[in-house]
Amino acid sequence: MRILQLELKRLLKSRLTWILLALALVFSVLLAYLPASYCYSNYTDESGKAVNLTGPASIAFEKERQADCAGSVTPERVRAAVERYQACLAQYGVTESYDLPEGVYEQEILPIAPLLHGVKEAFADPDTGMAPALSTIDAQRLDDYYGVCEARLASLMAMEQADNSPAQRKAAQMYDRVEKPFEVYPGMSPTVMDYQNIMGFLVLLFCVVIAAPVFSGDYQSGADDILRCTKHGRRQLGLSRLAAAFLISAAAFIVCVIVYLLTANSLFGWECTKTSIQMVYSILTLADMDMGQLQRFFAVAGLLSVLASVSFTLFLSSRCKNTATSLAVALVFGIAPTVIYMTIPGTAAVWICSLLPASGTGIQTSVLYALTDFEFLKLGGLPVWTPYAMIGACVIEIPLFSFLALRSYCRHI
Amino acid sequence: MELQIDHVSKRFKDKNAVRNLSLSLTPGVWGLLGANGAGKTTLMRMIAGILPTTSGEVKYDGVPIETLGEKYRSVFGYLPQEFGFPQEFSVGDYLSYVAALKGLPPRKGRRRIQELLERVSLANVQHKKIARLSGGMKRRVGIAQALLNDPEVLILDEPTGGLDPGERVRFRNLLSEFAHDRIVLISTHIVPDVEYIATCHAVIKNGKLRATGTTEELVRLVEGKVWSCTVSSEEAPEYESRLSVASLRSEGDGRVSIRYLAERPCSADSHLVPPRLEDLYLWMFPQNGGENERRRERA
Repeated sequence: MRILQLELKRLLKSRLTWILLALALVFSVLLAYLPASYCYSNYTDESGKAVNLTGPASIAFEKERQADCAGSVTPERVRAAVERYQACLAQYGVTESYDLPEGVYEQEILPIAPLLHGVKEAFADPDTGMAPALSTIDAQRLDDYYGVCEARLASLMAMEQADNSPAQRKAAQMYDRVEKPFEVYPGMSPTVMDYQNIMGFLVLLFCVVIAAPVFSGDYQSGADDILRCTKHGRRQLGLSRLAAAFLISAAAFIVCVIVYLLTANSLFGWECTKTSIQMVYSILTLADMDMGQLQRFFAVAGLLSVLASVSFTLFLSSRCKNTATSLAVALVFGIAPTVIYMTIPGTAAVWICSLLPASGTGIQTSVLYALTDFEFLKLGGLPVWTPYAMIGACVIEIPLFSFLALRSYCRHI
Repeated sequence: MELQIDHVSKRFKDKNAVRNLSLSLTPGVWGLLGANGAGKTTLMRMIAGILPTTSGEVKYDGVPIETLGEKYRSVFGYLPQEFGFPQEFSVGDYLSYVAALKGLPPRKGRRRIQELLERVSLANVQHKKIARLSGGMKRRVGIAQALLNDPEVLILDEPTGGLDPGERVRFRNLLSEFAHDRIVLISTHIVPDVEYIATCHAVIKNGKLRATGTTEELVRLVEGKVWSCTVSSEEAPEYESRLSVASLRSEGDGRVSIRYLAERPCSADSHLVPPRLEDLYLWMFPQNGGENERRRERA
């Protein structure tokens, strides 16, 4: 325990560690504010003057405008919203909302927009996936809205996982377990989750930079020879170093994610976190979660990804003779999921991205995007949903690379 | 208490650094003498357990040090030839860190650190970052850390490099006091540093043990081979290139006194002088002149 304390003290004495931790905290607040700052609303006031609102003022305005939508997304309410939409378009003799006269969309359609989310997707053509115009949907069919959604999921999975019928069945089972009717509380933006992803990615990189010199720094400086000749200078020191790096990384990520979520949810409103993720992402999303649960689930997945990346970095650090090499290789692996996702097509990329430690909170490929996608890996005959594969890989990698790092450090010559 | 080096060899890719070396170290100060590349550091790293042997074993009281593991390391102190420190530490922080790794209880550790800082004259810089210390001060920090756990086996690889003459004297005194009932092995190029404090010496050349014994025993090997003569200063360079010269001293009247090693005197006015350990070192590890001469002699 004393060695762990001293090791923590040693890591925290480094100016670089403090700079990175401070930067992580600043980014957490900044990135939480940015999605709110992008919100934009406009309306015409009683005197006929156009009013533009941005940031928190816009969020508050939109919440008020869509307040009547809040609550359960029952088929009746969806049908009523679609009928109102269709009636509005019929009144003005148009087939698309963007053909409506100026101001009508804001007054008539936007207040019911949250309830219309996903309707076109649910009624998409089962063969082509093309979504119809809302004005062409038979409103009567909305009486069995969730049945339509289930049928659409089946046709979607038949397209996405054509040769993987176990995955199709698994997806149907998962969607069946999703609590319905969905809930919606206007105001939440999916950008909040995107920025949580970016925040997690930055903290991951910072933690990798902190962990990279843990072993290799002493190899490089020659301090290692003295330390490994001491009574506790091998296994116990190695374990303490692993524990110290994990504790600092975990603490940094947890603090940053708490700061981020407190800031973002305070700006967008805590009631928004009760919105079903199907009302923010695809209406067919397989996970049975609301936005708050998604935030927490993604935070835990991000933490596991950070710890897996740190574990891998510590392993590299125990193998490399200098800090520059361990840092360079660790950073390459940190950004590898993003690069692989963008450059390698098909199943190979899904497999690699699911297995790499940094995938959990990578840019463009992360547990967040996997959660809102319909990718399954075939593990033998077993269909494994990619978010579970990513989390499972991290859970295995944390102890595996820690063990290899310790072994490598103890045997270092 | 005995540290046995039992038929130890170390082979790197293209070089046999240590060849079938056996030596039994008993309590006292041992000087490990050898030229650069003789295998001293490799041998010390194997004794420290940070470099595995290719063959043979290092045993402490009859038990291989790998088997003893922590038990061996808890009675072991080591100062490598080249070493560094974690850059972020002050002197005091670093010694506290090493004391914890050596398993010293906090209170005892603090007391021992203060004691050693006084002994190596670093008490006034204990809050200073190690990175800001001079080379000599850093080496004294290294010496202090090696002594922290009051080790039974102390291995010091070139401990006096970078120390000024006063510091070297203080170091020798510290070691003389410390060495009682302990095994201390010091490798050095600076022969006088071990000549008077080492009870025994081991001479290593090309990875092989060439000689062991007390200073007196070893010095006897060059008895009758150390000569002194006086030549003109113009002749001195010629003598220097031809002979294994131990020292040159200007006599002030255009004459130079030369102390040299040779089987036979090089001039009629040469006379035998009492040998020293440094002479043995030069004899066994000749530089250009002496080597040429001995080659000629062998021929």
